[in-house]
Amino acid sequence: MANYMSVETLKFLMNNVHDLNEVLKAERYADYDAESVDILVDSIKDWADKEYYPYFTEMDEKPVVYKDGKIIVHPQIGKVMKQAGEQGFLGPTFDYEDGGTQMPHLVQAGLNHILEAANNNIPGYIGLTSGAAQLIVNFASQELKDMFVPKMLTGEWGGTMALTEPQAGSSLSDIVTSAKLNDDGTYAIEGQKIFISGGDHEYCDNFVHLTLARIEGAPAGTKGISLFVVPKHRPTADGGLESNDVITAGDFQKLGQRGYATTHLVYGENNNCKGWLVGAPNKGLKYMFLMMNGARIDVGMTATSTATAAYHASLQYANERPQGRKMTSDGSKDAAAEQTLIINHPDVRRMLLLQKAIVEGSLSLVLEAAKQSDFAHTGEGDFKEDSHDRLEFLTPIAKTYPSEMGRIAINNGLQIFGGYGFCMDFPLQQYYRDIRIMSLYEGTTGIQSLDLLGRKSTMKNGKALQLLGKDVMEAVEAAKTYDELKPYANKLAGKMQEVQEVMMALLPHAMKGDFQRFLSDATIFMEYMGTLVIAWQWLKMATHAKEALVTGNLIYISDFYESKIHTMKFFFKYEVARTSGLKDILLDPEVLTILKEKELIS
Amino acid sequence: MNLLVCISKTPETTAKIGFTDGDSKFNEEGVQFIMNPYDEWYALVRAIELKESVGGKVVAINVGPASNDVVIRKALAIGADEAVRINAQPQSAMTTAKYIADYAKEGNFDIVFLGKETIDYNGSEVGSMLAEYLDLPFFSYASKLEMDGSKAIITRDVEGGQETAEYTGSFVLSAAKGLAEQRIPNMRGIMMAKRKPLNVIEPTITEDLSVVVKYELPEAKSGVKMLDADDMDELVRLLHEEAKVI
Repeated sequence: MANYMSVETLKFLMNNVHDLNEVLKAERYADYDAESVDILVDSIKDWADKEYYPYFTEMDEKPVVYKDGKIIVHPQIGKVMKQAGEQGFLGPTFDYEDGGTQMPHLVQAGLNHILEAANNNIPGYIGLTSGAAQLIVNFASQELKDMFVPKMLTGEWGGTMALTEPQAGSSLSDIVTSAKLNDDGTYAIEGQKIFISGGDHEYCDNFVHLTLARIEGAPAGTKGISLFVVPKHRPTADGGLESNDVITAGDFQKLGQRGYATTHLVYGENNNCKGWLVGAPNKGLKYMFLMMNGARIDVGMTATSTATAAYHASLQYANERPQGRKMTSDGSKDAAAEQTLIINHPDVRRMLLLQKAIVEGSLSLVLEAAKQSDFAHTGEGDFKEDSHDRLEFLTPIAKTYPSEMGRIAINNGLQIFGGYGFCMDFPLQQYYRDIRIMSLYEGTTGIQSLDLLGRKSTMKNGKALQLLGKDVMEAVEAAKTYDELKPYANKLAGKMQEVQEVMMALLPHAMKGDFQRFLSDATIFMEYMGTLVIAWQWLKMATHAKEALVTGNLIYISDFYESKIHTMKFFFKYEVARTSGLKDILLDPEVLTILKEKELIS
Repeated sequence: MNLLVCISKTPETTAKIGFTDGDSKFNEEGVQFIMNPYDEWYALVRAIELKESVGGKVVAINVGPASNDVVIRKALAIGADEAVRINAQPQSAMTTAKYIADYAKEGNFDIVFLGKETIDYNGSEVGSMLAEYLDLPFFSYASKLEMDGSKAIITRDVEGGQETAEYTGSFVLSAAKGLAEQRIPNMRGIMMAKRKPLNVIEPTITEDLSVVVKYELPEAKSGVKMLDADDMDELVRLLHEEAKVI
């Protein structure tokens, strides 16, 4: 069996740490129970073993190419899209009446983890098609739903989100793609979109691009952006398809994820591109953010899973590769002794533990966000609102921590391979290249950090941050039940007190209107908060592991639980300790990154 | 067609294997179980394919405790119509075969399927014993099964080639690779599975004739040895003296 993730860890996190049964109590999820989720997890692992993992290297070696006006992708993409439709894995969280199976987000996130770890080139095609269909389901008319969604959910048609333009990347207020009302109520679309993931290939009959554009006369900036359904081919009255003047102008050749098409689309070059308005005019960005927020959590999961697969590859290598000899008690080495496996060297163990701490901590965080998404969807009253606020706060961290720290984890994994890690014969170089995009797309780390400090930490007078503090203190109290965990619980409680100190130092800048200063070290704040949030997740994991060991309610072997506690200790010693330095930076009044009178970067 | 498929659980392939009670018993603590792949991928799927093409019913049967229900549910999710669990801890191939035979005798089944072996104990015994108890012919290691009206055409892998047999009437068949292709259950199938009947029946009384005395693990393998690509002499020496493969 392919070894790229741990089903046991995933189930432990879903069932124990994140209490799947509590999520399943909602009426919406009445058809699910823990046993059916267990079967789902095992079945998706079988699917990933068979249809995803074997093609991981091949998709890198034979990347997507643009030839004769066509995007050529690996044929396995076509097979998997069809299977995803047959299995109900396109739009699984949708309502039954919209063609879904009302799957909890927590479960979907867990299943995505398996697929992303097996081959991070493939799930984006499925995820974007589901996400585009979700926008139509949520905001478009019944006519548009009937026209587009059914074939997207069978995998016959693909879906994308088309935001970026050559001159407008992070700054969506600058998009210029135009929409002009036609006599028949559709809009004539004209413009260009770039970096459109999964934007075209020969294995889908059509592509449905959820496109941001400006209606003639719309206000400037983000308040004048509308959302349109712009298919590559438009359906005809007789059930056929005709060209909709959407030209695929190329595919971007990339550092990583080379099996995942990244296209350049040109709309309306022959003045014959029609778009259908979704919802109300000028509300496009608001609608799109429904998809964007989900997509950000998905990116966090892709990063987590890519780094997870790298960790398992490193672990296997460290358990097989003999190199060097153990030191004797006088500090010398016996050259005649048999070589020892590299996993026995403390520095290699440190790197493996760092990988494990980052990837399993990240996985727990992304599942936490998914759980809050479920509660925000199915809860009521204050609980629903609180869950939504928690989700809002955690989303930029769930996107950024796995993307940034996952890269560091893979870097350490590559180091374990020594020179072989730099060679194409081993997979670490591919994971290293693949994860690099995660801190760029769906909002860069800089954008996420501005969102975390500038919006999420201050929204509703800091309510989300207070909710986090409350959640962390609950975890601290639970951990204190066990003597072994008390020192770590106390340490985290102390660190959360320091967060208040940091906020008290930063907020006055905003209150004085100096937002540039307030946000100048937002990325440092992200790193600081991200580390503490992962510490919270590790404390929860360790508490559940300890509880299983103490009560003897062991679903897995005892080593499994002990390793969770051990890794929590590692995270606190090696990673939480770093937050002191980050706090010092945040509290330091000296400002070096804001342009003053004279340019000092030369 | 009325089809019975015997399914058993086996440890997940990466599970750490250990023994208790003086190495006479498999230690199940902390072990995750899956459906035996030969039962699931080939026997069950081929039975479902036959049902889908000619109609009828597929019943999955398992011998084991209530903790096996998750494995049985997977069989229902893949497409079995109903399931039966004989509520007994499997002790040996003989008792398992006897329990199933006592149920199958009453069921008027056209074909009784099972995998060629389980991937843990590798006994390959239940099928032949079951056929004996049911007084039916047994086709083992079948890699192909086609129906021509009421006649079954069975292809078996034999050393260096294939053997084809034809039979009209009920029989027991053990499935090998090639009989069908693994089928991943879909979301709706998994959710529907808990609405399908899973009947639990008590076992008949059967006495075991043999007792397992001891299990032993194979000797641990040492780590991978990396050699200079040009050092063929050393490679040959290691393959000869250490790996003992040449």
